[in-house]
Amino acid sequence: MTDQTMSSASPAIVKPKLSRDDWVMRAFILVIGLWLVVTLVMPLYVMLSKSVQNKDGFFIGLSNYIEYFSTPALFYSINNSFFIAFLSTAISISLASVFAFILSRSTIPGKSVFKNIALLPLLAPSLLPGISFVYLFGRQGVLKGLIGDYSIYGPIGIVMGEVFYTFPHALMILIAAFSIADARLYEAASTLRTNRIRTFFTVTLPGIKYGLISAIFVVFTLVITDFGIPKVIGGQYNVLATDIYKQVIGQQNFEMGAVVSVVLLIPAILAFAVDRFVQRKQVAMLTARAVPYEPKPHAIFNRFFFLYCCIISVMIIGTIGMAGYASFVTFWPYNLELSLNNYDFDVMDGGGWGSFYNSLEMAAYTAVIGTSVIFTGAYMVEKAKGFGIVRGIIQFLCMIPMAVPGMVLGLAYIFFFNHPDNPLGFIYGTMPILVIVTIAHFYTVSHLTSMTALKQMDPEFETVSASLKVPFFRTFLKVTVPVCLPAILDISIYLFVNAMTTVSAVIFLYSSDTALASIAALNMDDAGDVAPAAAMCMVIVATSASVRVVHALLSKGISAKTQKWRTR
Amino acid sequence: MKNDTADLKDETYLQVRNVTKKFGTFTALKDISLDVIEGEFVCFLGPSGCGKTTLLRAIAGLDIQTLGSVYQGGKEISNLPASERDFGIVFQSYALFPNLSVNENVGYGLVNIRTSKSDIKDRVTELLSLVGLEDQGDKFPAQLSGGQQQRVALARALAMSPGLLLLDEPLSALDAKVRVHLRHEMKELQRRLGVTTIMVTHDQEEALTMADRIVVMNDGVIEQVGTPEEIYGHPASPFVAEFVGTMNFLKATKGDNENINLGAHTLSLDDEEKAKLNGADVLACVRPEDIVVRGVDANTENSFDATVLDLEFLGSFCRATLTYGDGDVNLNADFSINLVRDKGIEVGGTVRIALPANSIHIFSAG
Ligand SMILES: Nc1ncnc2c1ncn2[C@@H]1O[C@H](COP(=O)(O)OP(=O)(O)O)[C@@H](O)[C@H]1O
Ligand SMILES: [Mg+2]
Repeated sequence: MTDQTMSSASPAIVKPKLSRDDWVMRAFILVIGLWLVVTLVMPLYVMLSKSVQNKDGFFIGLSNYIEYFSTPALFYSINNSFFIAFLSTAISISLASVFAFILSRSTIPGKSVFKNIALLPLLAPSLLPGISFVYLFGRQGVLKGLIGDYSIYGPIGIVMGEVFYTFPHALMILIAAFSIADARLYEAASTLRTNRIRTFFTVTLPGIKYGLISAIFVVFTLVITDFGIPKVIGGQYNVLATDIYKQVIGQQNFEMGAVVSVVLLIPAILAFAVDRFVQRKQVAMLTARAVPYEPKPHAIFNRFFFLYCCIISVMIIGTIGMAGYASFVTFWPYNLELSLNNYDFDVMDGGGWGSFYNSLEMAAYTAVIGTSVIFTGAYMVEKAKGFGIVRGIIQFLCMIPMAVPGMVLGLAYIFFFNHPDNPLGFIYGTMPILVIVTIAHFYTVSHLTSMTALKQMDPEFETVSASLKVPFFRTFLKVTVPVCLPAILDISIYLFVNAMTTVSAVIFLYSSDTALASIAALNMDDAGDVAPAAAMCMVIVATSASVRVVHALLSKGISAKTQKWRTR
Repeated sequence: MKNDTADLKDETYLQVRNVTKKFGTFTALKDISLDVIEGEFVCFLGPSGCGKTTLLRAIAGLDIQTLGSVYQGGKEISNLPASERDFGIVFQSYALFPNLSVNENVGYGLVNIRTSKSDIKDRVTELLSLVGLEDQGDKFPAQLSGGQQQRVALARALAMSPGLLLLDEPLSALDAKVRVHLRHEMKELQRRLGVTTIMVTHDQEEALTMADRIVVMNDGVIEQVGTPEEIYGHPASPFVAEFVGTMNFLKATKGDNENINLGAHTLSLDDEEKAKLNGADVLACVRPEDIVVRGVDANTENSFDATVLDLEFLGSFCRATLTYGDGDVNLNADFSINLVRDKGIEVGGTVRIALPANSIHIFSAG
């Protein structure tokens, strides 16, 4: 009787049995999730709660915020930060748009040389342009006459430095936007005898709209969160990022540092949200497009274009070159004889050559561990079956670092890892915490690169493996990793170079044993040893550049080796 | 009482019982039940989006059904993951590992179970010669033609001697000539190995030429299961009649003596079809190639005069568009070139045609 009621009732929903692969993948996903929670969510949470606590750790509501907004010296920095960010973004985007337009839409010679020059700033710590401008336009600068009575120490210097620093970031996004424009529209425009200027406004501009918006928000975020340039050349001009530093390092006022961090976090998150939204639209546009555009030569325009690229290139090389030259000058401006005196870091404060070796070590660990963790994590999240909610949460967590300024992350790490009750406190002040914070800081871009590569793989590889009773990790190692090797190399080089050049996230976290090259440069500059600071920056540039060259050779070698199986 | 799904007939290899698959609120499979006999070649045939792949993936354990059960070789596998089931699979994309040679692809699963390298090598060689690629083992997938890649995928799927071979549109990425050639090769290979095989296709010709039995699906349900002859000759529903081959659907009414009236003409039916006459309005279906002209005269059963509206030359035959009665009903008929010449059939002319009783299928209208 009971049996009958059972069988006539609605049949039971099949509960799939999990395979061993499923269990292993879920375990991995949980580990990655835990990693993100510990290295990202908890520190940020602790930082947010610090902003509503007093020195003794009691909850005091918004008192800190009220104090902040009633201290003109502090909240004026909001104005300053926004002013600098708007101006720098406007200039950087304008210059980069024209440059990107020329590189993708004209037939001038030497385009790849121009492009490589334009990307050089990526190899340098952001304080390099600051130092260089001191030599060019400072009190004893070679080109001081160009800025007349104005001082380079302040908004002018900051904006110039930010433009230098953000130019390649804007350029890469804009080149990508131009390169997906549809040739068919141009053909239509030219058969309709539309003139070039009208074509630009009716065809080109709408075509790159999303790329342009994305570039604007990326640059804006970079500028508003940058610390190196305002630190070196800002003088008395305070911005949010330097305020955090001053509150924390100068006044040991951690709670106020947390408040400023939250204030800085808001525009960064907004800009980031808009960027993500826009990127999604751009992807939709990309898939609908087909025919690539072939530029046609135009003699007169080309001459202007070439000149423009030369001017920009000269400015970039000049900026790096000035720092390079100054680093070899014995005693600026009195003894212009060239020597290696400034490279004798061991006789100066800041960490000496040891800091450079620390940086190398830190960058190498970051590249190796970061790439392994991030790529493996992306693989598990992308390929696992079921477990949808956890995977969704992790996808979301992976996007957070992009929106978190380095200073904020670094401060959050102090709060979290330096807390006496934290069992992980032992890593505070060691190399591992520098590696961990740097991985967290640059997680998003690496994760997105991994996802793009993984999405291009046939989704049935894992299915076939399962049907052949091969555990997924064998397929991961034998197929996924080799096929994704170019992307994996890109990620590791991105992590390495950023670890070499970063200042903001690690500045609160290094100890005397783990001083880093970029921080040594900052500290030497602070102590008035500007030439050695320039020298240290040049060492970083040279290292990043060499690693890039090695990477290029390696990629070439790999593509030659994989040529066999990639093409017929 | 013992559940009747558990006692398998000897020859039944795979049983699908009341399988329903939901994606959110959308039901992709509705209460599907199906038996597959050991060693047979079954095709899932149906229009795109009807749930063929979904059913195949449920059988493979890749996307397990929401409700219902699956038995393979007498063992319940309803909730097992793919890695604990016994099947080989070939996808439309083939999913060959691009960075591994043909040998490594085919031997991919063997590495896990075989101890000696020479065993693996022997088995790979055997498999490659089975699919006619003996000398291609050192190449990479990208260096092979589409047809060769397909055969590598087949060899890899067969490597572990699975009890069940699943093929999801394995030929549809190939061009027409290769496709026709491979149809025969695959069918031949399947017969030789005797492996129970399920192939998904939306191509009726493929299904008709390769399958021992065809499962016609539509909108998440099975419309008909039968041999190609049954499916073609005795479609169980208007959907099957229309989807497999071409069919004229003619509105008719039930007449006296279990006849039907087609306009002014009275047509007689086979006994089997007579039984389907329930209701006054019916659909009388006849295939264009079943319409007879040769030897038809005024006394021939089910014959009447028709006017030729159009003649379309289709290579080996002509498709005529005919009309009869008051001229608002069209009817397609396939005539051989010979017939057109002999009978002097031309546009605007009249021809006497017959719809033989055994070629008329009756479905209720509406
Ligand atoms: N993962 C999925 N999520 C939601 N809907 C799906 C999914 N897979 C298939 N469907 C839907 O189920 C239906 C049947 O799909 P499928 O079995 O792939 O059809 P086909 O017969 O062409 O192989 C389609 O309407 C498809 O959109
Ligand atoms: Mg399908």
